[in-house]
Amino acid sequence: MNTLGLIAAVTAFLAIWIGHVAVRKVEAEARDIRLPMIIAITLGLLTEYGSLVTDNWSLKTVFGILGITLLWDAFELYRQQNRIKHGHAPANPNNPRHIKILAEHSTATTLDLLKRDPIGRSVSPVEAPKLIHH
Amino acid sequence: MNPFGILIGIVTFTIIGLGFPLVIRGERYFGYWSWPYMMSIGFLILLASLFIQSDWGSVIVGVIGATFVWGSTELKEQAVRAELGWFPFNADKVRLPFMETIKKWKAPHL
Repeated sequence: MNTLGLIAAVTAFLAIWIGHVAVRKVEAEARDIRLPMIIAITLGLLTEYGSLVTDNWSLKTVFGILGITLLWDAFELYRQQNRIKHGHAPANPNNPRHIKILAEHSTATTLDLLKRDPIGRSVSPVEAPKLIHH
Repeated sequence: MNPFGILIGIVTFTIIGLGFPLVIRGERYFGYWSWPYMMSIGFLILLASLFIQSDWGSVIVGVIGATFVWGSTELKEQAVRAELGWFPFNADKVRLPFMETIKKWKAPHL
């Protein structure tokens, strides 16, 4: 039995899940996303270095996947900011950077339009906010 | 200084990238209620990875399994995105077995 695939799968799943949640939270709270981006890149490179120098095959796999995920998360912070601009993710009205986005982009909104169950038909922009779970 | 882990990281990243069209097309053609099917396929692939002797083979198959499992948790939100017009909406979806029963279950979302 070879458990390396399972180790890689669990690492990838957890790294995506935690990264997914962390990117949304950090982007919503950070006044300047450059700092968290630099931190994610630094941690990603350090983790990849760890993968390179360790002799343990399982750790090599875990660090290798984790590091690339962190590097991607840095880019995701930037992509998340674009989602805010398009109204595809909710802006935080208490974050000065998001207040500026709300003023400059008419598509930006504080509403989370994805926070509901599917209803099985197309929804108009007028109807969409009414369907959100509060 | 063996780059096995780094290469695995890059390969994993590529496979997960293929998960995006999997979720988009999966939801478009089969609906979000296909999630238990996608999740089961994922776990079966993951199980198969345990029996592959080659480290590279085991990792690639394992990560493909993880991508299916993760994808199954994204289908519900993808259905909402399609309803909002952010992705093409397909009203004429394939009706998979037990669709009505699955619709009564709470679809997973992480």
